[in-house]
Amino acid sequence: MGKTLQIHSTLACDVLIIGAGGAGLRCAAFIHERRPDLKVFAVTKVAHPQKSHTGTAQGGLAAVDPKDRTDSALFHMFDTWKGGDCSSDQNVVRKIVAGGWEEVQWLELRGMHLSRDEEGNISKRQFGGHTVEFGKGDALRAVFEADRTGKGIMDTVWGEALKGGALFINATVATELLFNEGRCVGAVLFKVKEGEFVAALAGATVLATGGSGQVYRITTNCRNNTGDGPAVILRAGLPVMDPEAVQFHPTGIVGPGILASEALRSEGGILRNKDLEPFMERYAPKMKNLAPRDIVARSIEMEIREGRGIMNPDHQLEHVWIDLRHLPDHVHEVKLKEVASFFKTYANLDSRTQLCPVRPSNHYHMGGIPTNEYGEVQKSADAIVPGLFAIGECACASLHGFNRLGTNSLLELLVMGRCAGERVLSFLKENRAPAVKDAGEATLALFARYLEAQGKENVGLIRQEMRAMMTGKVGVFRDETGLQEAVASLADLKRRAAQAPVAVKDMRMNQELLERWELDNLLDNAMTIAQGALMRKESRGAHFREDYPERSDEYQFHTLVSMTDFGKVCFGKRPIDMSIHESGGEHAERFGIMPRKY
Amino acid sequence: MSKSYSLTLTIRRFDPDASRRWFQTYTLSTGPILRFVDLFRRINVEQDATLAWTSSCEHAQCGSCSVKVNGRPMLACELLVENAVNLFGTTKFRIEPVTVAPVVRDLVVDWEKAYERVHRAKPYLIEPKELPPGMTEHRISPGKIARYEEATRCINCFCCAEACLSSCRNFIGPNAAMAGIVRMMDIRETQKEERLDLLYSEEGIYRCHTSKACSHVCPKEIDVAHFIALAKEGAF
Ligand SMILES: Cc1cc2nc3c(=O)[nH]c(=O)nc-3n(C[C@H](O)[C@H](O)[C@H](O)COP(=O)(O)OP(=O)(O)OC[C@H]3O[C@@H](n4cnc5c(N)ncnc54)[C@H](O)[C@@H]3O)c2cc1C
Ligand code: SF4
Ligand code: SF4
Repeated sequence: MGKTLQIHSTLACDVLIIGAGGAGLRCAAFIHERRPDLKVFAVTKVAHPQKSHTGTAQGGLAAVDPKDRTDSALFHMFDTWKGGDCSSDQNVVRKIVAGGWEEVQWLELRGMHLSRDEEGNISKRQFGGHTVEFGKGDALRAVFEADRTGKGIMDTVWGEALKGGALFINATVATELLFNEGRCVGAVLFKVKEGEFVAALAGATVLATGGSGQVYRITTNCRNNTGDGPAVILRAGLPVMDPEAVQFHPTGIVGPGILASEALRSEGGILRNKDLEPFMERYAPKMKNLAPRDIVARSIEMEIREGRGIMNPDHQLEHVWIDLRHLPDHVHEVKLKEVASFFKTYANLDSRTQLCPVRPSNHYHMGGIPTNEYGEVQKSADAIVPGLFAIGECACASLHGFNRLGTNSLLELLVMGRCAGERVLSFLKENRAPAVKDAGEATLALFARYLEAQGKENVGLIRQEMRAMMTGKVGVFRDETGLQEAVASLADLKRRAAQAPVAVKDMRMNQELLERWELDNLLDNAMTIAQGALMRKESRGAHFREDYPERSDEYQFHTLVSMTDFGKVCFGKRPIDMSIHESGGEHAERFGIMPRKY
Repeated sequence: MSKSYSLTLTIRRFDPDASRRWFQTYTLSTGPILRFVDLFRRINVEQDATLAWTSSCEHAQCGSCSVKVNGRPMLACELLVENAVNLFGTTKFRIEPVTVAPVVRDLVVDWEKAYERVHRAKPYLIEPKELPPGMTEHRISPGKIARYEEATRCINCFCCAEACLSSCRNFIGPNAAMAGIVRMMDIRETQKEERLDLLYSEEGIYRCHTSKACSHVCPKEIDVAHFIALAKEGAF
């Protein structure tokens, strides 16, 4: 105590990439391939870029193979538009879908071990919502590396970024963006391991901090996904877009919420409640257990709410069962090998003879930092922040609209990583980075407050309460009363957080201090999610309001929300791009407003 | 059905400020299917917020949470209470940071230092083979990939390196060696010479004594020693 915090040093680079996951390092690798002379910093919160969360993606990467006569980019665009509940931007959809196969080739040529068919060609698999001929049949559109597609991508991009000479700054968080005359010129970094603050000045800054799943108690997301990117943006007075669009996966494994793949249901698994009733028959008499993700998630949640869930004593969590006992051994051993092994590892259960506990788990945030189709961050619907870019899950361009199709996220982060890289290069050509004064004062003041705080509150407990509250009130089901309670309770939690002391005062690897900062980020994200959900009096994609169960044309826009004072939000709108529909080209009529029915 | 265990965790602590090292004991009563990372988090919330530990994905896909439990390197996210009790035949556990990298605080090590070995092994294709004319991707038979596929599952948790007696001397270590071996076996790599130079260098695979400790502890059940043995025979 008593030591005043200071900026330890100032570093300079051409491109500062904040977040060294799939998106950030695809961008870094692109820049190095084009301009080996540039100095690129790749900052990551985890211990090494390989530990980033992209490495956990299992299922696949959507990309239309131009050699495939049965599939076409147009079909993929249609599926994405429909799946997103008519809330994706069509200019973005067109661009990302068109760039898919080029990314597959890039990865393949650089050593990704994509799964192959007998002839040695790249294999493809089917994924929910991906169809040919506008819903007529299933599309084989996802390339994959066994059940570890994300790992294959992660290993390739960090290898390439390393080879290109990117400088990894590990175990470090960006806490504040630096501006000069409206232009972003870098960021303040807190090097957690060393306990040092540094100013990193850059010609261009790219945010790629990934997801925000830790806002919820049950999530498939990693411990580090605390929504730092959107929080840093909000603190800079900039808006986030569509924060209320949060996807829940129906079958997370109890307790932590680890993703149990869709395959569970497609291979014949039956969901049952505490009376062992196969309840999906009541909610979706035709499709039953094969109904789309959001319907299954809501059905499970309803069973739990009406008292037909089962309490897991260890994790103190209610769940339903997935029954796989009737499936033949080879299904358990081959087709469901990975998930079966998860049940074994995390619940000590044998799926061949025992019921397995599952419940909806937060999975993906469609919303995020608003960008245009080049990854340039926007300060309003029609103005960008020069020098600042955002890509990957923290960004919102928007490809996914209000509901993401499986495998589209890996596609997005690769294509947008490359496209933002292109834009960064043309931006650097025209511009030089001016220096800033007073860099980092906001960060230093914030952290000093954390270190000086006194009181009886506990960061861990507040976090736990917030996450449980968000799962309960701003989760799968939402309504006016619940959302209003959520907003009030977040304000209360924020007040309490100010009275949570940090015992360790030494700055080196001060986990308590980091978690205190993360708590503020989580609260900021939670508040914009709750407020966005409260404002949007309709149901759209994954955002489901019980009191307004239908989609409404009145809300046919993207939510922009900024928040400089906690809880005091300011809303804006961004129109949803419908340029494919408006182009009048072939099949343009398919891209109008339609019901999301399967 | 709900069993409960009363556990004693003795955790090795390190405070860089006072350069102090000590063992601290925590007792917890817990259900059978909590993971060790859940226990650490509970200690943080309920008993001691100052205990520092590392994790990220918490389902054995990132390899950040490796620690030594009663001397054995393991992933804390994969170890359930019930399994730990059965495996070690006790409810008392001594938890220490791994030694392959310097300790920063408590159970947190400087993974960056450990990764330097993997970086030296060049974990990428040094010079990828060009595509055959008329092709847009390489054709690789699944059989060819099957020979080394297992090795591509490595998450660099360094449990093998921790268990390997040779890797604390000059050996680059099992996982770093394997990163090179995978690319030796990949038909798309053209720079085999440079790879061989590294594999057979002073810090190369001849430092390995074939004790197979690496394969024994690997949480991904990769037979690491098998790949090193292939490399020793030159059977890429
Ligand atoms: C279990 C699971 C399975 C999935 N499966 C699929 C799938 O099959 N197909 C698909 O398309 N999508 C899938 N997804 C979604 C997809 O994997 C993610 O959306 C995507 O990987 C996110 O990539 P990213 O590069 O944006 O973020 P990440 O890979 O999470 O990287 C974020 C980076 O930012 C760093 N960072 C965070 N905060 C800061 C900060 N403050 N300062 C500096 N650095 C910071 C992190 O350390 C990390 O390096 C899955 C997601 C999960 C959770
Ligand atoms: S080989 Fe196994 S033990 Fe060694 S680093 Fe890789 S995953 Fe870990
Ligand atoms: S077999 Fe070789 S690499 Fe593996 S632990 Fe023994 S000496 Fe180390």
